[in-house]
Amino acid sequence: MHSGDMRTRLLRVLLAGILVMMGGLVGSAAADETCQSPFLPKVTGQEDYIYVWTLGIKGVADGNDSMVTVDANPKSASYGKIIHRASVPGRHEAHHAGFTDDRRFLWAGGLDTSQIFVFDVGSNPAQPRLVKTISTFVKDTGGLVGPHTFYALPGRMLISALSNAQDGSGRTGLAEYSNDGKFIRTIWMPKEAPYGYDVRVNVNLNRMLTSSFSGKKNYMRPFGDLVKDAEAMKQFGSSVIVWDFHARKPLQILSVPGAPLELRWALLPNHHYAFTSTALTGKLVLIHQQADGTWAAKNIADIGDTIPVDISIAPDDSKIYVNTFMDGTLKVYDVSNPFEGKLIETVKLGEMANMVSSSWDGTRVYATNSLLSQWDKPGDYWLKAYAWEGGKLVPKFTTDFNPAGRAHIMNFGSKVFGPKAAAPAPRAQRVSAYAAPR
Amino acid sequence: MRRVWGVCVLLAWVGGGLIVPSPVRAHEAVSLEEEFVKGVFSPAFTPPAAGSYDLPAVKRVPWVVLKDLTGRSASTRQVTAGKVAVVSFIYTACPERLGCPLASLALQDLQAKLKDEGLARHAMLLSISFDPERDTPAQLAKYARIYGADPRLWRFMTASSERALDHVLEGYGQDRAPVYDERGRFTGRYRHVLKVFLLDPAGYIRNVYSAGFLVPDLVLNDIKTILGEGAPREVVKR
Repeated sequence: MHSGDMRTRLLRVLLAGILVMMGGLVGSAAADETCQSPFLPKVTGQEDYIYVWTLGIKGVADGNDSMVTVDANPKSASYGKIIHRASVPGRHEAHHAGFTDDRRFLWAGGLDTSQIFVFDVGSNPAQPRLVKTISTFVKDTGGLVGPHTFYALPGRMLISALSNAQDGSGRTGLAEYSNDGKFIRTIWMPKEAPYGYDVRVNVNLNRMLTSSFSGKKNYMRPFGDLVKDAEAMKQFGSSVIVWDFHARKPLQILSVPGAPLELRWALLPNHHYAFTSTALTGKLVLIHQQADGTWAAKNIADIGDTIPVDISIAPDDSKIYVNTFMDGTLKVYDVSNPFEGKLIETVKLGEMANMVSSSWDGTRVYATNSLLSQWDKPGDYWLKAYAWEGGKLVPKFTTDFNPAGRAHIMNFGSKVFGPKAAAPAPRAQRVSAYAAPR
Repeated sequence: MRRVWGVCVLLAWVGGGLIVPSPVRAHEAVSLEEEFVKGVFSPAFTPPAAGSYDLPAVKRVPWVVLKDLTGRSASTRQVTAGKVAVVSFIYTACPERLGCPLASLALQDLQAKLKDEGLARHAMLLSISFDPERDTPAQLAKYARIYGADPRLWRFMTASSERALDHVLEGYGQDRAPVYDERGRFTGRYRHVLKVFLLDPAGYIRNVYSAGFLVPDLVLNDIKTILGEGAPREVVKR
């Protein structure tokens, strides 16, 4: 046997020993929170806060975009209430946000102005504070526009963009910044599949997936106009790209027609697949590795002509939650057989349902409404919380966002990530101090 | 084999110290973590070939003066001395099995690989403690012996004060928070994200590895990638 193999085997045996000796010291390895980067420590138990990146509305409060904190701890007197609002100057088409690798900072982007706002959530997790604004995204990146997904990599943020400054089309790329906010590099999407949207990494396989949406001239256009413009409606992405993550090089372009949006890797290490949904064609799609190591896409459920938007995965990979915008519904699919999605639960949420997030322990689900300022219908804005009880999703609270703005993406916060960490709670409530296996 | 026994001693030492192991729970959780550790040392992928990709600089770290294992002050600039450096932050009492012990096992593996590949003159390993109070040079020396650290290749350093350490952590972007019990007493533990930094000879961070991606073969290819770039960047005095 080669000495390296021997060494590896010995290490494995030893580490298996460590695991047995010290069993139970670190948090559960199952994972949302489940969509967070594998490089992040996770909130494995009850989340204390939900940070909602919220679009400002003219005439509501100061009219600005803001990071709104909702108290999510049932033991708290302000459970379900907005307890803090940190606004930024102006409205920027607030959309997505994501933590740095140590969960001390939350980066949030504006799809219209391409500004990035960095909030300190570590110093006081109940009160995020704006500490930095990056106004040079377009210039830094050589013309990317519309910073979308903010994804933690060790020491840096990986950001997928939606558009470009040259023609406002969907030709775009990925950008990397150091955690300090210094630009590192731009990676343009391949010419054959130029669109971008989400980006997610599977570290066990060294694979990265990107999905595809549309450019600024579409996403900032009133929805009613857009759908009547047949030419514009052709300008949507129809692919998922499989990348060598470490090399940041595209390996395979998969045809996934109809604007595949959010990507969710299965979380168990031996599950070599991911899910996405297509906004324009209403499909739930499996992206899976085949026996020869290449990847393929397969439609596994017909969601319907309702514009599926955000999706979330259960920590044991058994379910996919899908919010559908047009009918304001949360649909739950059993994907324990990943090749066949079965609808097992439907919850009427309300107008414009958009984002959905499962907790790490899989018992709670949160949803917000508001998709894009130019696409939303008039209505109320809210965050709604549900919990699984007796095999059904039961409503827990509704937070009225009308006094704050349009509620968009949710990220979970915990007191444990404050400056003085608390001692480990019982296992089920622990926050793992290391990034989770994927 | 000495290395194997060394690690066993370490486990007994660590296990008998701060850690009170809780009973092993769900079989599934253990097997998942086993899968995770396996992923680190024998990943389910072949790392891309050295030189086939870019490693753009993330940031430049400050050179700092720390104490070595003899208790003498030395600049990290002298210690890394124009080599590619792999820098880990650890503390010897760390009880998180997928934290510091994992990082040190990975560096141990990397040390052997660097020797096997004849790269010992061009690369080095540096572990810096984030527990200046308890990780005295003597304590770190004990830890280094347990991991079979070859002092020509793998150095250990500790800060002379908390303030000095904060400066180092800030420079690298490494978090660290003391953990307190319910009565507000310090538990002797720190919460931190496991990060290992790859520095080029000029002190630029070229990659950062975290649990899940601290793959010795991948780090080795990154070292070769930097060594293959030719003349190092001009060393800028900082």
